[in-house]
Amino acid sequence: MLEVRDLSVNYGPFRALHDVNLTVQGGEIVVLLGANGAGKSTLFRTLSGLQRPSGGTATWNGTPLTGGRPEFNVSRGVSQCPEGRLLFPDLSVDKNLRLGAFVHRQDAAGNARELERVYTLFPALVEKRRAPAGSLSGGQQQMVAIARALMARPELLLLDEPSLGLAPLVVEQVFEAVQRVNEAGVSVLLAEQNAFAALGIAHRGYVLEGGRVSLQGSQAELLGDDRVRSAYLGV
Amino acid sequence: MRGAAFILWRLSLTTFLQQLFNALALGGVYALVALGLTLVYGVMRVPNFAHGGLYMLGAYFAYAALSGLGVPYVAALLLAAAGVALLAALLERAVFYPLRNAPHVHSMIAAIGVLFFVEAAVQLIWGPDFKQIAEPVPGIVNLGGVIITWQRVLVIAASVLVVLGLNYFLKRTLTGATIEAMSQNREGARLVGVNVNRVGMLTFAISGGLAAAAAALIAPIISVAPSMGEVMNLKVFAIIILGGMGSVPGAIVGAFLLALAEVFGGFYINLDFADVIGFAMLVLVLAIKPEGLFRRGT
Repeated sequence: MLEVRDLSVNYGPFRALHDVNLTVQGGEIVVLLGANGAGKSTLFRTLSGLQRPSGGTATWNGTPLTGGRPEFNVSRGVSQCPEGRLLFPDLSVDKNLRLGAFVHRQDAAGNARELERVYTLFPALVEKRRAPAGSLSGGQQQMVAIARALMARPELLLLDEPSLGLAPLVVEQVFEAVQRVNEAGVSVLLAEQNAFAALGIAHRGYVLEGGRVSLQGSQAELLGDDRVRSAYLGV
Repeated sequence: MRGAAFILWRLSLTTFLQQLFNALALGGVYALVALGLTLVYGVMRVPNFAHGGLYMLGAYFAYAALSGLGVPYVAALLLAAAGVALLAALLERAVFYPLRNAPHVHSMIAAIGVLFFVEAAVQLIWGPDFKQIAEPVPGIVNLGGVIITWQRVLVIAASVLVVLGLNYFLKRTLTGATIEAMSQNREGARLVGVNVNRVGMLTFAISGGLAAAAAALIAPIISVAPSMGEVMNLKVFAIIILGGMGSVPGAIVGAFLLALAEVFGGFYINLDFADVIGFAMLVLVLAIKPEGLFRRGT
């Protein structure tokens, strides 16, 4: 289980996260709602080891994630599909995915199996496997980004704004895939502004405002909450 | 009459081919040096002004191995490449790594400092005068009137071989892929678990090894002197700007373009103009295509 306790992150004098507390149980999809600048990406960067916190702890099944070494976090089963995808644009889709399995580089057979699995999950990528990742459509690039994160064989998948800039139909496909990944046993922490789609597949959720958790609850509670409804669902 | 014969000789196919071979040999050396520079720029985003110093050091290492240890030429070349590769990796650790979060200009100044330091150290150890390295295979090949020294044949063959090997490494091995991945998206590479420090050191080592190998190859044709690094620096920076900073094919194409322009410009126009023509070409390309001939990944 992911356990975030009193986590604070500063960028110089600016405090991006204030004493954030949050958990993700094994097998859960937990959604993190929040506007731009609420601190979602900062939290994700910290959980991936790209950003050192100024206070508090974050652990996955008891292992600290705050050592500032992303390769350690990936090898311990925490893998991120970042906002903006951060693909390798001139490398083929296949090579992007193989690099996703970098921490398992000794296990060629296992990686080949995993590659087949992600291509089954995203059949649209099969015919693009030799194409440079940068040449794909936005939706396909998002699929490559998720697939690359899955190649690390995560136990916890951190998904940062996967629906950003995608057409509604593609968003649906992506979220379906996330649900399938979760059904296969992967816990998911999903940051989204598209609250309606995200709450559709999540078990629980948190609302992040100005770097603080302002609200938390089950899927039904959040869908029924007036503040969530007005701020994120537009109803 | 003698004047006319001279002009005819200058315009003949034989002399053209002769110059072409000279340009290919020079281009091969430029390519090896420029490739290392462009790889380091791609991965570290640092224009390594010390690169020419590593090249010069490679020539002196080869000279020391030949005259001091008395090993054969090929062994001296490999020793020089390995020695400079090691030093380049240390350079990354000692100079560039501590400056990784500082403004870019800091590492540029540090690199220039390293260049001066290496030059002064070499002068202190080996003195400021020219050194000669004997050609391992003396003599010439005569291909139907086109006369080419064995050393130039060796330079061309070796540089093609090294470039093919480097290409195989970058395109076909996972470690090579991490270098390309890092130059295309550093943070993406960190997120898949690539240790960017290790890749940075490895890239520096490769760049140093390539520069030293190039120096050991060309050393029997030119004279070895402490100032050779600065001259090469100017050329390889022109090449990677021409080809597109960080682009591997750009470095190769740029290297041969510059060598062709220098050799043919020097021969058909005026030897004094050889360097001018190279840089005039650079200005022209930048005026038309400011990003260089090859776009590099973002």
